[in-house]
Amino acid sequence: MSTRTTEDAVWDALRSVLDPEIPAVSVVDMGMIEDVKVEGAHAHVTFLPTFTGCPAIAVIEDDIRAGVKNVGGVEEVTVTPSFDPPWTTARITEEGRAKLKDFGLAPPTGEGPVLITQIGLPEVAICPFCGSKNTRNDNAFGPTPCRALYYCESCRNPFEQFKPI
Amino acid sequence: MSDSLVSVLTALADDELILGHRHSEWTGFAPHIEEDVAFSSIAQDEIGHAAAYYSIIASVTGGNVDRLAFGREPSEYRNAILCERDNDDWAYSLARHWLYDHADAIRLEGLEGTAHDQLRALVNKMRREERYHLIHADAWMKRVAHGPIEGRTKLIDAITNAYDDATALFEPFELEEDAIKQGWVVVPSDELRRRFVDRIAGILDELGIPMHFHKRADTSAEFVASSSGDLIASDGQNGQVEPAHDGFGGRRGRRSPEFGALWDDMTSMYRAHPGASW
Repeated sequence: MSTRTTEDAVWDALRSVLDPEIPAVSVVDMGMIEDVKVEGAHAHVTFLPTFTGCPAIAVIEDDIRAGVKNVGGVEEVTVTPSFDPPWTTARITEEGRAKLKDFGLAPPTGEGPVLITQIGLPEVAICPFCGSKNTRNDNAFGPTPCRALYYCESCRNPFEQFKPI
Repeated sequence: MSDSLVSVLTALADDELILGHRHSEWTGFAPHIEEDVAFSSIAQDEIGHAAAYYSIIASVTGGNVDRLAFGREPSEYRNAILCERDNDDWAYSLARHWLYDHADAIRLEGLEGTAHDQLRALVNKMRREERYHLIHADAWMKRVAHGPIEGRTKLIDAITNAYDDATALFEPFELEEDAIKQGWVVVPSDELRRRFVDRIAGILDELGIPMHFHKRADTSAEFVASSSGDLIASDGQNGQVEPAHDGFGGRRGRRSPEFGALWDDMTSMYRAHPGASW
């Protein structure tokens, strides 16, 4: 028999806190939550920003605070952004990758932890619309710091990929 | 003890903020739409890195990140002069981007062993992002260097123009000796500069680009070429050896005439609404 703790309830609440730039995935799907601790009625959440220059960091912080504040038994919430450990695309869950694809954003390529020496622009991103690997990179950058631009030669759609870091 | 930490972080942050601002001036004006996107995104990364450095300073001194970025007088900035130069033409912007991002990669690598936990974590994070800047810069260098003669000539001229300024990215930080003693900085700036000069020379050699700038030492009696190939002048007073050119002195607050207009533009909103909360 398992006992649901306030910490479990905080994790549940975080599963409803969506990435403001990719509202199909939660901060948990994205692997952005490093730690949750509850001391009495005080919840501490440590989250890892995806990109240092992400303009959504402050919004995500506010959204986490608001979401966790609604949890029964929690009166105070402290949200701490941290770069230790660094967030990497390897932290995105399988569920998160599937949701990114459904959203029309190609999930990052590569498996397991991405070592700094291995980071590069993959030759191939898989088209989220038709599944083709016959794609070309048009730009290592995109509309947000975390996206790169691609074109699918098979279904002739432009698409974006979540950049592997 | 923390003064030397603040000194180092201010220089690093100001480099990123000021160059980030210059890159952002291409937004809407780049010669190619994909480059408009690329330069805008690189600008966003650099300004984000500046904000992260400033926030470490703020946690040490109790200061405010916005005030650090926009609330200082021009003489209080410590960026290298390379970062504030006008964008000039596309060739200069590419050459500077390429030189700067290789310099930044070398200095971030040098900072991996810093004794400051928060800085070490930030460096580790930023290096992952900066890889994309290098991929971008290297791809353009290769493309233009192997392309038609007009572009290649412009690029060589631009590298020649920017090179001396770029070596001054490794002008020692104020209080560097103490920063090394405390372990905030591990590799002295002089050593990093040697690594930078070697790396750039190696890449240019691979690209088949002749290095005119190393010969400029011959034209002035005051300058000598150091063993590493950059220009140095000996200071008879205290025996210190410093690169002698007008791109030097940024780490001590010397500003070029180009800084004024940039500062006016960059800080105008902050100055127009003092104390506003964004």
